[in-house]
Amino acid sequence: MKIGALRESYEGEARVAVTPSSATHLQKLGHEVVIEQGAGARAGFSDEEYRRSGVTVVPTAAELIGQADVVAKVRQPTEAELRQMRAGQTVISFFYPAQNAELLALAKEQGVTAIAMDMVPRISRAQKMDALSSMANIAGYRAVIEAANNFGRFFTGQVTAAGKVPPAKVLVVGAGVAGLAAIGASVSLGAQVHAFDVRPEVAEQIESMGAEFVFLEFDQPVQDGAATGGYAAPSSPEFREKQLAKFRELAPQMDIVITTALIPGRDAPVLWTRDMVEAMKPGSVIVDLAAEKGGNCELTVPDERIVTENGVTIIGYTDFPSRMAAQASELYGNNIRHFLFDLTPKKDGVIAHNMEDDVIRGATVAHDHDITWPPPPPKVAAIAAQKPKEKKRELTVEERRAAEAVAFQGETRRQVALLAGGGALLLLIGLVAPVSFMSHFIVFVLACFVGFRVIWNVAHSLHTPLMAITNAISSIIILGALIQVGSGSAWVTILGALAVLMASVNIFGGFLVTRRMLAMFQKS
Amino acid sequence: MAYGFTTAAYVVAAVLFILSLGGLSGQESAKRAIWYGIAGMALAVVATLFGPASGNWFLSVIMIAIGGTAGWLIAKRVQMTEMPQLVAAMHSLVGLAAVFVGFNAQIELARVLRARAEGLAIDFTGFAGVLMHKTQAEINVLKIEVFLGVFIGAVTFTGSVVAFGKLSGRVDGKPKKLPLGHALNAGALAAAFLFGALYLAGFGPGILWLMLIAGLAFFIGWHLIMGIGGADMPVVVSMLNSYSGWAAAAIGFTLGNDLLIVTGALVGSSGAILSYIMCKAMNRHFVSVILGGFGGEAGPAALIEGEQIAIDADGVAAALNDADSVVIVPGYGMAVAQAQAAVSELTRKLRAAGKEVRFAIHPVAGRLPGHMNVLLAEAKVPYDIVLEMDEINDDFPSTDVVIVIGSNDIVNPAAQDDPNSPIAGMPVLEVWRAKQVFVSKRGQGTGYSGIENPLFFKENTRMFYGDAKDSINKLIPMLD
Repeated sequence: MKIGALRESYEGEARVAVTPSSATHLQKLGHEVVIEQGAGARAGFSDEEYRRSGVTVVPTAAELIGQADVVAKVRQPTEAELRQMRAGQTVISFFYPAQNAELLALAKEQGVTAIAMDMVPRISRAQKMDALSSMANIAGYRAVIEAANNFGRFFTGQVTAAGKVPPAKVLVVGAGVAGLAAIGASVSLGAQVHAFDVRPEVAEQIESMGAEFVFLEFDQPVQDGAATGGYAAPSSPEFREKQLAKFRELAPQMDIVITTALIPGRDAPVLWTRDMVEAMKPGSVIVDLAAEKGGNCELTVPDERIVTENGVTIIGYTDFPSRMAAQASELYGNNIRHFLFDLTPKKDGVIAHNMEDDVIRGATVAHDHDITWPPPPPKVAAIAAQKPKEKKRELTVEERRAAEAVAFQGETRRQVALLAGGGALLLLIGLVAPVSFMSHFIVFVLACFVGFRVIWNVAHSLHTPLMAITNAISSIIILGALIQVGSGSAWVTILGALAVLMASVNIFGGFLVTRRMLAMFQKS
Repeated sequence: MAYGFTTAAYVVAAVLFILSLGGLSGQESAKRAIWYGIAGMALAVVATLFGPASGNWFLSVIMIAIGGTAGWLIAKRVQMTEMPQLVAAMHSLVGLAAVFVGFNAQIELARVLRARAEGLAIDFTGFAGVLMHKTQAEINVLKIEVFLGVFIGAVTFTGSVVAFGKLSGRVDGKPKKLPLGHALNAGALAAAFLFGALYLAGFGPGILWLMLIAGLAFFIGWHLIMGIGGADMPVVVSMLNSYSGWAAAAIGFTLGNDLLIVTGALVGSSGAILSYIMCKAMNRHFVSVILGGFGGEAGPAALIEGEQIAIDADGVAAALNDADSVVIVPGYGMAVAQAQAAVSELTRKLRAAGKEVRFAIHPVAGRLPGHMNVLLAEAKVPYDIVLEMDEINDDFPSTDVVIVIGSNDIVNPAAQDDPNSPIAGMPVLEVWRAKQVFVSKRGQGTGYSGIENPLFFKENTRMFYGDAKDSINKLIPMLD
C-alpha cells in the first residue's frame, strides 16, 4: 500500500509524520512511501534525502491524497483535506475526537478510517506508538531549555573566584511524562528540583529522577488524584485548597516554575494564581505546558511570551515539540511506523485493520462509515490495580483498655467453658469407667496439661531437637514390650521381642541424634 | 524387687522426662536436658527389666543390644540435611511397636480368658498375671484401649513411612489420591470402628478383628499422607510425632503403666503444639493441611509484570563489599545443595570485614520445624545471629543486602499483596523492603507450592542462578 505524508498546513507546524529513516522501515513492511514536496523541509529533511531513502516526492497535496492509501499527518486533518479523501482511505494523525466532533462526523460521511495517535491506549504493548508520551517528553525537555533561555542566571550552583552562584530552584507541577522529562533536564543542568503531583504513587518516580517530592499533609485521608489509565483525575476542593496553600508558600523561593498539569478531556486546572506570580522574584520564569488547554497559570497567554509587571516571564508556547522539529519528527515518525507495523501483521504491504486488537481498536475513531469513538475499555488494564493499603489506626489508651478488657472477658469465658465442658466429660467417663481406669486417666490428663505448659516454652530454633528427643522418649513403649516378652505364648514373645528391637533403635538413635544436634549450637 | 520400687523409678523417670522437654527452652540448658532424658529412659528400662513384671530379660537385653547398636550407627552416620527423613522413619518404628504391643495384649487376654473359662488355676506371671484379676468392665475398657493403641500406631506407621519416602525423595512429593479421595478414608475409618465394635462385643476371635483394624489403619495412614504435598511435610512430621505419643499413651492404659501414659501424653501434646505452630506459620488450618492440597482459590492470581534479571558472582560480591548490613534467608534449597558450610564461611568473612551479618529463619523454612537452625548450627554459624521472623522482619528496610538462598514461598510478597494467591495471608519475610535482594536459585522454576514469586521480578531483586553451594563458593574469594 502507499503511505503518504502531507506537508503540515497548520501555521508554524514544523514537524512531519514520515522521516527518511522511518520511510525505510515502512518500505520493509512492504509499503510504498510518498511525500508531498517540501513536507520535511522545516524539520530539516530535504526532498533529496527522502528520495535517497526510496520515497517518491509528489508536488501537491491533492496529488498525494489521490495516490496514497494511508495519509499520515501530525496535526489533525483540516476539513479541506478530509473532503479530498475517499472512502476506504486511512488517515493517521493526532485527532482529539472529543474536541473535534464535526471533523469526526465528516470522516464518517466520507467513509474515511481515522486513526487518532492521541487515542492509543496506555498499555505496555502500545508504548512504542504512544505519540503523546514521545511529544510530552520533548515538550518537557524543551520547556526547561526555554526557561533557561529566559532566565538570567545559572541553573547550576558554583563557587568561583568571582563569587558564589546559587543553584536555581525549579518547581515542576505535574509529574507525567512531560513533568518527569522536565525534572530530568533541570536536574542535569544542576538545578535544585522540587516536584508535585496529585497522584501520590508517582512520588517514587519523582525521587528516582533526582527531584524532591512536595508532600501535602492531611488530617484525614482524602481522595487523591490517581485515576485509571495513568492519568490524573480532578481533585477534591479541599485537596485543591491544600495544594494552592503549599504553592503559595513555595512561590517566593522558586526561580523556575514548569507546570504540566492536564486532566484528560478537560480544561487545564488553574494551579498558579495571580498572587503566586506576584509573590515571585523578578527574573523568575514560568513555563506553562498546559497553555493550549487554557494554562495552569492564571496569567498565561497561549502562544505568547509575556513579562509581568514584577518582572516574571511567563511562557505560554503551545508548540514545544514543533520547536524541536527534527527530534519530534523522528520520534513521531517512529510512533507512526510502529502503528503501521501492527496494522501490517504479515509484513506484506497489506493493511489488515483488526478491530479486535485493543490498540488498533482504541486508536480508531472512525471506520467504515461509522464513528468508533469512544472505544470500549481495553481488555488489558493499563496499570495493575493498586491494592488499597490498610493503615492500622493507633488506638487511644481507653480504646486499648476496653479492647483488653473485652479480650480478657472472652478468654475467661472460653477457659470457663472449656473447664466446664472438660469437667462434665470427665464426670461422664467416671460414671461408666472402672476405678482402675480413672486413676490412670487422672495421670493422663495431668500429663497432657504439663506437656502443653512445658512445650510452649521451647525455643523455636530447637524444634528439630525437640522432635528428635520426643521421638526418643516415645520409645518408652519398650516398657510394654519388655513386660510382654516373658509371656508363655511364643507369638507374644516374638512380637514383643521385635517391638523391643524397634523401640531400642529409636531410643539410641533418637538420643544420639539429639545430642549431635545440640552440641552444634554455639555462641559467637 | 518390689512393685513399689519400680513405681518409684517410674516417678523419677517421668520427672526427668518433663525436665528434659522443659530444658529445651534455651540452647545452653538443652545440652543438660538431653542427659535428663537419657537418664530417665535408662532408669525406666532398668527398673522394668529387673522389676517384678519383667519376663524374659535375657532375650530383652539381646534385643536392646542389637537395636541399640543399629540406632547408634544410624545416628552416627546420618547427614544433618537428612534429619527430616530420619525423624519420620523413627516415628514409624514407634508406631509399629505400638501395633505389636497391642496385638500381644489381645493374645494374652485371649489366653487368660480361655484359662478363666476353663476354670484352670494357672499361675500366670507378668502381664498375664495382671489381666487375671480384671473384672469384665475393666476388660471392656482394656479392649477400647487396645483398639486405640493399634489403630493410632498403625496410622503412624504407614504415615511415617510415606512421609519418609516423600522427604527422602523416594516417593514423588506431589499430592496423590485414589479416585474416591477422602471418601475412601472415611469409609476405612467407619469400617475400622465397626470392626472395633465387633471386637469389643467379643464376637469371634479378637485377634482377627484387631488385624483387620490394623490393616485398615495402615491404609488410612498411607492414603492420608500420600495426599499431602511435600511443602506441608513439617506439619505432617510433627503430627505423626504427636500420634506416636498418643499411641504410647493408649498402650500405657492397656498395660496399666503410668509412665507410658505420662510420656505418651507429653510427646502427644508436644507434637500437637508443634503442628499448631507450623500451621500458624503457614496461615493454614490444620484440617486443610491434613485433608491435603491448598484450599480453594478465590480467583485468578494477579499477573506479574517485569522480568527476572540475572546477575553474576562479581556483581553480588561488589554489592556485598559495599554493604554494611547483610541478612541471609536460607531455605530448603540450601539444605539440598549442602551449602551451609559455604554460607558459614561467607558469614565468617563478612563478619571479619566488620559487616553486620544476620540470618532470618522463617518458621516453616525447610522440611522440619527448626530445620535451618540445625543446619546452620552444624556449619558453626553462631546461634545468636540466627533470628526468627518476628525478630528481624522490621529490620529489612535498613538492610543493605539480603541474600535469599534456596527459599521461595517464605519470601513471596504475594502472600501480602495478592488476596487471590494460594498463600495469601501467610506471614512471610519482607525481604523486598531491603535495598537490594539477591536470590540464589537453581533456575527459573517455581517453588514447592508451584506459586509464581513476584519477588523475583522486583526492581531491587537480582537472580543469582546456579547451584547454591557453587554460587556461594564463587563469592568467597571475591570478598576483601
